[in-house]
Amino acid sequence: MLQKREKVLLLRTFHGRTLRIVREHYLRPSVPCNSPLCPQPATCHNDGKLLSSDVTHYMVPDWKVVQDYLEILEFPELKGIVFMQTACQAVQRQRGRRQYNKLRNLLKDARHDCVLFANEFQQSCYLPRERGESMEKWQSRSIYNAAAWYYHHCQHRMPIVMVTEDEEAIQQYGSETEGVFVISFKNYLDNFWPDLKAAHELCESILQSRRERENESQESHGKEYPEHVPLEVLEAGIKSGRYIQGTLNVNKHRAQMEAFVRLQGASSKDSDLVSDILIHGMKARNRSIHGDVVVVELLPKSEWKGRTAALGESDGDDRAPGESPSEPMPTGRVVGILQKNWRDYVVTFPSIEEVQSQGKNAQKILVTPWDYRIPKIRISTQQAEALQDFRVVVRIDSWESTSMYPNGHFVRVLGRIGDLEGEIATILVENSISVVPFSEAQMCEMPVNTPENPWKVSSQEEQERKDLRKTHLVFSIDPSGCEDVDDTLSVRALDNGNLELGVHIADVTHFVAPHSYIDIEARTRATTYYLADRRYDMLPAILSADVCSLLGGVDRYAVSVMWELDKTSYEIKKVWYGRTIIRSAYKLFYEAAQDLLDGNFSVVKDIPEFKDLEERSRQAKLEELVWAIRKLTDIARHIRAKRDRCGALELEGVEVRIQLDEKKNIHDLIPKQPLEVHETVAECMILANHWVAKKIWESFPHQALLRRHPPPHQEFFSELRECAKAKGFFIDTRSNKALADSLDNANDPNDPIVNKLLRSMATQAMSNALYFSTGSCAEEEFHHYGLALDKYTHFTSPIRRYSDIIVHRLLMAAISKDKKMEIKENLFSNKDLEELCRHINNRNRAAQHSQKQSTELFQCMYFKDKDPETEERCISDGVIYSIRTNGVLVFIPRFGIKGAAYLRNKDGLVISCGPDGHSEWKPGSLQRFQNKITSTTTGGESVTFHLFDHVTVRISVQTSRCHSDTIRLEIISSKPHMTPDTELFQQSPLLLKSDLVKEVTRSVEEAQLAQEVEVNITEDYQKYCQTKGRSLYTLLEEIRDLALLDVSNSYGM
Amino acid sequence: MAGLELLSDQGYRVDGRRAGELRKIQARMGVFAQADGSAYIEQGNTKALAVVYGPHEIRGSRARALPDRALVNCQYSSATFSTGERKRRPHGDRKSCEMGLQLRQTFEAAILTQLHPRSQIDIYVQVLQADGGTYAACVNAATLAVLDAGIPMRDFVCACSAGFVDGTALADLSHVEEATGGPQLALALLPASGQIALLEMDARLHEDHLEQVLEAAARASRDVHTVLDRVVRQHVQEASVLLGD
Repeated sequence: MLQKREKVLLLRTFHGRTLRIVREHYLRPSVPCNSPLCPQPATCHNDGKLLSSDVTHYMVPDWKVVQDYLEILEFPELKGIVFMQTACQAVQRQRGRRQYNKLRNLLKDARHDCVLFANEFQQSCYLPRERGESMEKWQSRSIYNAAAWYYHHCQHRMPIVMVTEDEEAIQQYGSETEGVFVISFKNYLDNFWPDLKAAHELCESILQSRRERENESQESHGKEYPEHVPLEVLEAGIKSGRYIQGTLNVNKHRAQMEAFVRLQGASSKDSDLVSDILIHGMKARNRSIHGDVVVVELLPKSEWKGRTAALGESDGDDRAPGESPSEPMPTGRVVGILQKNWRDYVVTFPSIEEVQSQGKNAQKILVTPWDYRIPKIRISTQQAEALQDFRVVVRIDSWESTSMYPNGHFVRVLGRIGDLEGEIATILVENSISVVPFSEAQMCEMPVNTPENPWKVSSQEEQERKDLRKTHLVFSIDPSGCEDVDDTLSVRALDNGNLELGVHIADVTHFVAPHSYIDIEARTRATTYYLADRRYDMLPAILSADVCSLLGGVDRYAVSVMWELDKTSYEIKKVWYGRTIIRSAYKLFYEAAQDLLDGNFSVVKDIPEFKDLEERSRQAKLEELVWAIRKLTDIARHIRAKRDRCGALELEGVEVRIQLDEKKNIHDLIPKQPLEVHETVAECMILANHWVAKKIWESFPHQALLRRHPPPHQEFFSELRECAKAKGFFIDTRSNKALADSLDNANDPNDPIVNKLLRSMATQAMSNALYFSTGSCAEEEFHHYGLALDKYTHFTSPIRRYSDIIVHRLLMAAISKDKKMEIKENLFSNKDLEELCRHINNRNRAAQHSQKQSTELFQCMYFKDKDPETEERCISDGVIYSIRTNGVLVFIPRFGIKGAAYLRNKDGLVISCGPDGHSEWKPGSLQRFQNKITSTTTGGESVTFHLFDHVTVRISVQTSRCHSDTIRLEIISSKPHMTPDTELFQQSPLLLKSDLVKEVTRSVEEAQLAQEVEVNITEDYQKYCQTKGRSLYTLLEEIRDLALLDVSNSYGM
Repeated sequence: MAGLELLSDQGYRVDGRRAGELRKIQARMGVFAQADGSAYIEQGNTKALAVVYGPHEIRGSRARALPDRALVNCQYSSATFSTGERKRRPHGDRKSCEMGLQLRQTFEAAILTQLHPRSQIDIYVQVLQADGGTYAACVNAATLAVLDAGIPMRDFVCACSAGFVDGTALADLSHVEEATGGPQLALALLPASGQIALLEMDARLHEDHLEQVLEAAARASRDVHTVLDRVVRQHVQEASVLLGD
């Protein structure tokens, strides 16, 4: 081990004193250069990622360039970047952890062509800092020296461009070494990337915002906000209990005034603080932005405020006097920010009139973010006019205490306001979802399956895998039209009379090697995103719809779990896990399977597999299949009953039933029965997930990925209990079983919606189920509340969930561990797995949000073109499900929309209803009670709305330039809406179809409500609904046209 | 500062070493003429001086004498200028008492004390500059000093520390690495037999990782042994040249 020692002297001030610290610094003759041109790759140990060899030059950014233009260096077009260690350290020191982590991820990302060169540890690259030399100069000198060395190291075969912002450096080093060029960043972009428009624009906007910032700091205004407390003081304060740490959550409806700080874990020692802390007003929020981890100081009790219960449309200041907010809650102010959670924001530039009214400083423009919770951002740009009608992405750079608003810069354009693609892109950016098409490098890793070159089972795999093609009758049951079949089932009788139940899952991990390009991409996406009209797959179609999909009649690789069950009691005797080869015999859909189960064999004609068979063999095969389905159903019933006895909460099952209930409501439309087959399949999947969870946990007690569902907080149920009480029901929420039972009992025979609403409230009160690493939490917390299982994971859908891929790898490792074989898979350590789980959970949440937002988008687009006054469809029946001080929240079962309806309008008039129930606005006052609200006019008339009252509402769309459009509800009558739907349907068959679309839309929203409590079946059902043939968007478009037709028709009559 | 990255993604530590690499060790034996044995060691910037007297008769209370073996008496002190801040450290404070006790345990395990019953061996160690791994430096210095005094030992005692960062065990921690408060393990090893003379650990470490850290510390101790062995051989050679044969 050759090494030389050198000492670095560091002078440091600490508490005002000068402290001399001597640190060692070791140099070595070779550090990895990661260049394919390296003459001695063996001595350099180039084992990480290499630069690609097809670049014209290497680019070495100076420290200042890395600090300021990292966003541009992130462009995948810029290739062959060598980051010097000196520059990276400068970023770490001066730009903080966030920026540094960005750089680290960039370096780790295999898709991005850049490497790090540890120049400070290289013998001939290291330059000690000279006496009196400034840090900046030394850094530039080191980087240049390293760049020159790199050039010589590559034997002058690749020119190097050092990019710097330092004029002197350009002067000094420009012509020192041949082959090493020193130019400014602007110059570099102009010369080497003249066509990369996005980079130029970004560069321009960064430059401008920096200039602004410099000007501003010179101007020194009066302070708008108090300064943040230094980090050491914060940390000490948190430890001593003086300050409290938490995540800032801005109230969406009153973003200007209210924000709450959610406490983090058990950081607060004083247990009396159970609720969130209110942060009132922008001043107290002190420049923190939604999602930041902040440190707050509590205000004295006399200054505590209550939260507002009024529906927020107007700002807080026009609250009627005497209308007191709820009782005071702990109130505080932000004293510091521990971690900024800034991301890309979608904003809208103000229209010309507004710009002019903003006055003299046309260079600086206040833009409004799409997300209400984000404050306005100040942008300096000259493109304001050109960008007026577009949705634009910006980034926040800084927020000085002298400035009212944060400063940001423009990044890119998404699309026109109101344009579908633009709005969808907005939703994606706002949820930080990036879905670029799969790259060539990723597709190269994919197996080939073309008619000329069909994919075949390899003989080597044939030996290693258990072959079930001849021995087992394997079949799949899915919604009709589904392409990505990831699960199949089998059941057969064994020689000893026992039964063997098998669940066979697509073997995605066989095709997706750990740390391959496609694996990295799938990990980043974490899940398939389903929007209302489209989906973004986690894996390319060749895998998800072809080679991995367990289609009928073809050989496929699978991972199987097989149980041996007792012939009568169905006790599980043995379980086997392993890789298999299967050939699915039937690809059934739910309805057909149900018919077979019910003994209705007329459907046989529709099953393609039976078509070409002659009568006798068909009969035999049919009997075999029917026996299997019957047996399967029987087993599933047993397993389910056992889970029920253990106190399983059947909320998710109920959710399914609700949806089917809904289908029943419109029974005339699509006669659809709740199918037992759904439950059968779901139960088998739950069983497989459960057993796999057990297996991987036993093999890897500290690094298995499981899924838990924490029991809900009782206080969240209070609203549910009160609502139920209004209807005379009692909801027992003490245990999952009690809850399920009492929900079953809370059924109003006259109004099925009541039960539905109560259930959705219960679901909302639940916590979300989460993925976690078993090393990170105690065993008793593994419990899954909804399913009442002690261990649960996701194993059955590797095509569309990354967590399942991890679980598959864990299971494979567990199997090889059992066989005492070496574990080939590189498993994640507990820490990495925990990090990954957090990522997957985040992505899942983003997927849900985007799904919900896109559905709302479509609802709005649907209602937008309609005139609410004349259009029949805009008037509908609604149910009041919550009471606020100035209005009520209404649920419209027909469209599945939830929204607020005001009882007092902007002019201060209140609603009043005549004897026929029709409403008018009159002066008067509102009075709110526990479960009703009364509006009294000055004339003495009064009208009272109770919880669960049916009212007639008019639906209109409130358009908004900067934000998403919202649905507006207006109560037009206190009586239920009378037009029976069926009449309409008979009237025009076109409407029928529209309701069908609505049905789909609503079921999607239901899924959002059901959030995580659902089992596979709900999910699958939901999601596959969308994979069926035509997209929702085309249907909606069609309906728009039809609606016009419809109107003209009715007028004609 | 939380921002300091103890182990970079490329596998370098703050001072440029890789995870298993030691700091540079330089040592000399026989630095004082008056003492029976003495040695000076530099492990990186940690510098320690050890002096050995004995075996001699029990000084002070005769009651302390052990009938079957020698009494090993160790005293540790550190110079006021040894750390970044100048600070007086009086004799007999808790930290030096503890260190003295640990040294004593270590050397009782290594010195063949039964050869010198009813006598006493004094080992005095002073740290001149503390830059992490003081215990290891003291043990290594004292080993050389004991060898210099010609006191029979079972084997060298070689010590080294190890820490644990991001799933990787780091050998021979420097002060910067120690200061972050991660787990730290100090190991004194008799390299020939692989026996452990002393093992101490601060802070919590998961049991699963213990083996890995222990392994790193043991490997580092063996590396220290090679260096010390070379020092001793060179010293003997020099001495024999001086003696003129």
